Amino acid sequence: MGKNVLLVDDSSTMRKIIGRSLRQAGIDFDNIFEAGDGLEALAVLEKEKVDIVLSDINMPNMDGISFLREKAGRANMKNIPVLMISTETGDDIIGEAKSLGAVGAIKKPFTPDKVNEVLGPLL
Amino acid sequence: MDLEDKIIASAKEIFSSMIMMEIDVTDEVVTGSQSLEDSISGIIGLAGMRKGVLAIHLPNSVAMAITGNFLGMEVTEINEDVEDAVGELANMLGGNVKTILSEKGRDIELSMPSTITGKHYDFQTTKDAERHVIPFVSDAGKFSVELQLEK
Repeated sequence: MGKNVLLVDDSSTMRKIIGRSLRQAGIDFDNIFEAGDGLEALAVLEKEKVDIVLSDINMPNMDGISFLREKAGRANMKNIPVLMISTETGDDIIGEAKSLGAVGAIKKPFTPDKVNEVLGPLL
Repeated sequence: MDLEDKIIASAKEIFSSMIMMEIDVTDEVVTGSQSLEDSISGIIGLAGMRKGVLAIHLPNSVAMAITGNFLGMEVTEINEDVEDAVGELANMLGGNVKTILSEKGRDIELSMPSTITGKHYDFQTTKDAERHVIPFVSDAGKFSVELQLEK
């Protein structure tokens, strides 16, 4: 059975680039869902089967850290892994993300090889 | 490596890895406010330990070429895709500058990126700001990255 991914980024351009990088890295998902912020991401997770989330941090309405915090409090989604993809890769921010359940981080800019290196072992 | 060298390295990495476009620094010297024509600027604010603004100023033709490379499609007008791509460029540059200025990343906050576009506009220099303007050239044309930090 194939896997589904949720891409969370306020930039539609970045969501397209991440989707393209997944294909270039040879990582196939049955469905690629998209959300523009943490609130939209929670709504997708409430109704779709998602195997992994790739999320930005700096977003309007609900940022990536608040999304992780909210998700951790919902039993139906708290175990879905989240990989952060962000320009924000300072030790403190990534440390906080990991304490809230993030399984890793990829720094923007990234290459398909980097996506494969970090995401591959998580699938 | 000083701040400008780090911004240059960061911009080159962003363009080569995400836009598949090589860029280089030119030896132009920009002083005073920038007067921009048929251009689009992506802007992001920095607040906290260091306050300021980072902007990338692109002629429309360069912005359309960059967006086309970003998305893998031909872009012939300044539309939402171009605004989004230029905003994301500012976001990536701002994130790198934040990391340069604050290693752990918690004492500087970034705003959401925004864009300005128009036939003619000026990007004013803030009084008493430490100002860095770095002119670049690519196959698509010239553009610049500007950082103003409160002293």
